[in-house]
Amino acid sequence: MEIDLLFFINLFLDTLSYWWVIVPSIFLGLIVGAIPGFSAANTIIILLPFTLIMEVEVGLIFMIALYSSSRMGAGIPAILVNIPGTAGAAATPLDGYPMTKSGRGQQALAISFVSSTLGGLLTTVLAIAAMPILAKVGFYMHSVEMVVVMLFGISLIASIAAKDTLKGLIAGFFGLMIGSIGADHVYATPRGTFGFLEFYDGVPLIPALVGLFAVSEALLVIEGESVLVKKKQIEEDHSSWNETIIGMKIAFKHWWHITWNSLIGLVVGVIPGAGASIASFVAYQQSRTYSKTPELYGTGHPPGLIAPESANNGVTSGTLIPLLVLGIPGGATAAIMMVVLQYQGVNTGPRLFLDNPTLGYGVFMAMFVTYLFMLLTIMPLSRYMSRVTLISTVYMSPLIISFTLIGSYVPRTYMFDMYLAFAFGIIGYIARKTGYHVAAILIGVILGPLLEQYMLRALKMSDGDVMVLFRSDLANVLWIVLVVTLSFPYIMKKFRSRKDTPPDKPEGQENVFAKD
Amino acid sequence: MSAFKNKSRRQFLIETAGSAATLGMVSAFGGISSAQAASFPDHNMDVVVGTRAGGGADRALRAVSSVWKDYLNTNFEPAYFPGASGRVAYEVYMGKRDPDCYNLLFGNMGPELLNWVVKKPTFNLDDFMYFGRVDTDPCCVFVKADSKYRTIDDLVAEGKKRKLNVGTSRMAHPASVGILAVGEKTGAQFNLIPLSGGKNTVAGAVTGEMDFSVLTSGSVIAAGEAVRTLLVFNDENVMAAKLNNAPTMNDHFGTDIPPLLSARAFGIHVAAVNKYPDRFALLQETFKKSVQDPAFAPAFKKAKGTPEYINYGGIEECRKYAEEITELGARFKSMLSGKA
Amino acid sequence: MGNEPESGSTDNSANDDVRVSLGGELILPIMALVFTLYYFSTIVDSPWTAQVNAFMVGSLLISVIVLFLLRMAIMVSRGEADLGLGNLLQPAKLLPSRLIYIVLIVLYLLGIEWGGGFTISTFLFLLCAMLLLNKGKDKAFVLGLSAGLALLGYGVFIIAFETRFPAGPFEKLMQGVF
Repeated sequence: MEIDLLFFINLFLDTLSYWWVIVPSIFLGLIVGAIPGFSAANTIIILLPFTLIMEVEVGLIFMIALYSSSRMGAGIPAILVNIPGTAGAAATPLDGYPMTKSGRGQQALAISFVSSTLGGLLTTVLAIAAMPILAKVGFYMHSVEMVVVMLFGISLIASIAAKDTLKGLIAGFFGLMIGSIGADHVYATPRGTFGFLEFYDGVPLIPALVGLFAVSEALLVIEGESVLVKKKQIEEDHSSWNETIIGMKIAFKHWWHITWNSLIGLVVGVIPGAGASIASFVAYQQSRTYSKTPELYGTGHPPGLIAPESANNGVTSGTLIPLLVLGIPGGATAAIMMVVLQYQGVNTGPRLFLDNPTLGYGVFMAMFVTYLFMLLTIMPLSRYMSRVTLISTVYMSPLIISFTLIGSYVPRTYMFDMYLAFAFGIIGYIARKTGYHVAAILIGVILGPLLEQYMLRALKMSDGDVMVLFRSDLANVLWIVLVVTLSFPYIMKKFRSRKDTPPDKPEGQENVFAKD
Repeated sequence: MSAFKNKSRRQFLIETAGSAATLGMVSAFGGISSAQAASFPDHNMDVVVGTRAGGGADRALRAVSSVWKDYLNTNFEPAYFPGASGRVAYEVYMGKRDPDCYNLLFGNMGPELLNWVVKKPTFNLDDFMYFGRVDTDPCCVFVKADSKYRTIDDLVAEGKKRKLNVGTSRMAHPASVGILAVGEKTGAQFNLIPLSGGKNTVAGAVTGEMDFSVLTSGSVIAAGEAVRTLLVFNDENVMAAKLNNAPTMNDHFGTDIPPLLSARAFGIHVAAVNKYPDRFALLQETFKKSVQDPAFAPAFKKAKGTPEYINYGGIEECRKYAEEITELGARFKSMLSGKA
Repeated sequence: MGNEPESGSTDNSANDDVRVSLGGELILPIMALVFTLYYFSTIVDSPWTAQVNAFMVGSLLISVIVLFLLRMAIMVSRGEADLGLGNLLQPAKLLPSRLIYIVLIVLYLLGIEWGGGFTISTFLFLLCAMLLLNKGKDKAFVLGLSAGLALLGYGVFIIAFETRFPAGPFEKLMQGVF
């Protein structure tokens, strides 16, 4: 297929025709993004039964739109009530909330929306522009190289585990071990299946996903009165449209700031394990460092809001690059997309752009169009966005259980998969309650079988000689990059610990290494 | 209507005459089933498929069912069970699907029969039978278009110097058996690397990771200009024009091996055949009509199939093919199973 | 789920005056260990291709678990930690309803499989679970909500998307209607 301007124009128009999916998804994403602890990942899992039944394009566009807009939605409670909707918005309240306190909440929302949308648009265009080069990767990635690439993905476990390395590694290796259940990739010998036929094909990912994330969450969430911990009454904003326009003007005036910080987001997003939370703190930090008025940061200074918001939206497109080009998910949402795509028969990774370029580019085009629609639809509505409804866990939790278990049933229509999701739910619950990361287990379950497949290929080709893993120049370069990348989270941790904690530190931002 | 029923049952009895037990069952249940068949099918047909969605088998199934559904006046609902080289699908089908003629299995006889050679399934093989072959697609040997190997003799010569890595979609596949047969005949060394699926097998050759690959020729034709075919495992190269006029195995090496085919076919529980002979008769008859329907070839072509390979086969043809491939597979069992 | 709940003993360790309860943290490693040993037992006689990955990952996992147990043993021997279950079962007042909740989920699945069908099982599960969690308040609202959601589920999954859930009395009844 010819990848030229016409291709992109057609793709753009084609994606536009899916407005009926995109617009509702944007609103849904905004709302769920605004509910703390309720990320795009949750929503996609809960709506999994629908996502799986939809056509692959529709499902993908739905997920992308939801993902992008929930990122923006997460900024709303961060600004208004000082509670970031997700870890990625953890730096948003630093200057956003002081603006609300000084009666400029409406302005802050407008700034956040403009920064998010422009940041997202810009980085998506860059990602599309870089794709033709990145897509060629497919020709050079053989089994040996893919072994290293999979280790990149698995290194995500190490960065998730930054808080307690041993426990993180236990969770990750346990996941890899669970991921090894099933028939061996060469001679199809069944292994570790407990005698269940349903395991021959490996551990079905959707029940694992549903159990580890949603069921365990539903069991935990009943501890709170409502999903949104109501810290204080959201102050009704009586200001006029004028505030919104002032906010937009401020944001546009800082266009260069948006550009620069969204680029930081893009770059950080590409690195597995370094997610929106890291990006927004890096952006915030460098914004203050290079500012002429660093003393104003933390007091409701617009650039302090622009930096994290444009950066965490830059991450959104960045995260998808390793997913699509290499087939390794950069975070929980990407992992879920990967699972859904695999279910739909689309294998992400180096071959995607060779086998199915329309879908590969389509992902970024969907994101571009989503941001475009957001610009048009959200801005006029920003006034009303502050009215976040409270949803009681009493009704949410059983609903999550019921819907997600249905979701685990849909792909193969096995009752077994529902029980399996429940079993993973218990594992996930124990893990969360005792300080193990469910994301680390999931990454293991997803990447374990892929790693094994590529490794076996490489070993079979060399008649079992392990040194084959170090005989390719490209692989050796990748090995070096891997080692460097592995040290990245630790460097970031040091970087973070040097940072002065600003006043009015928002709650719920301990977990900055959990990428959503 | 009743004349039609009787005729189709007679036809059925002739075709399954080999099995005395079946015969008895049919007579015993005939009366009941006749009434039941009147409303058959009153809901969707469920088809267990042993590959992932979007693959060659899936496309072929969609093409057949697009025609067949009109004869049966119902829809076909495929369920995919990739993994363990199709074994999962058969075990699921035999273990979890009701033998009611609503549940069918769509498989690829070649690779899947070779599975049983390597390792027996948990169910009794006599409880399952193929009854409707859609196509016969011969396997072939191919290289990337700009490969330094121009002919099969180049490959064999190189294979005598060093062990060549051969991409194949599965170990237990007719194509793998084919290249092992070439090795046996010529003394060349081939190392089979299973790449799970046709796309990956083509990619293995095209990206140069493999020295060459073996695969069913339909998928090789679909790969177009990127690859070049060097040998075909069939009695004649039906698609010579699209397969670089490659010679056939028996012609070129003077061997006498049966055609190594991917032969996609519907299978069914023998219990279902016994319990609902009228339903089964209806399935057989409408299936044959569907494959021979003028609308099928275009649908098959649209589904990226090779219409030239459409080749209806009934119970007898399927049985003959099964015997041949099983016998050949047994010869290379140790190389396919990894066990001495 | 980007926001992991801040739980686990790593957070408790901030309280210097209180001994950390590490018993709960043992559950996952023990599960992992038992599973790994079981896995090994299934591949003893297999070709090398079935073994290489498992032995590599498995032995790494076992080493990490051994290190973890060592660390725990040292902490316990120094009196810095005990083997209590930590906050696994906390908050205590929620424990009975959480256990009943888990039993309800199992009953829900069994109900779907054993003849209850999708719609009735979903309705009963939502009804019981919501009444359990809200301590029996707003009965009429909960009844309406769970019935509405179960019917919505029936309409969407079974009617619209034709997902083949095991049929129960309700589905069979409706099949007669349509």
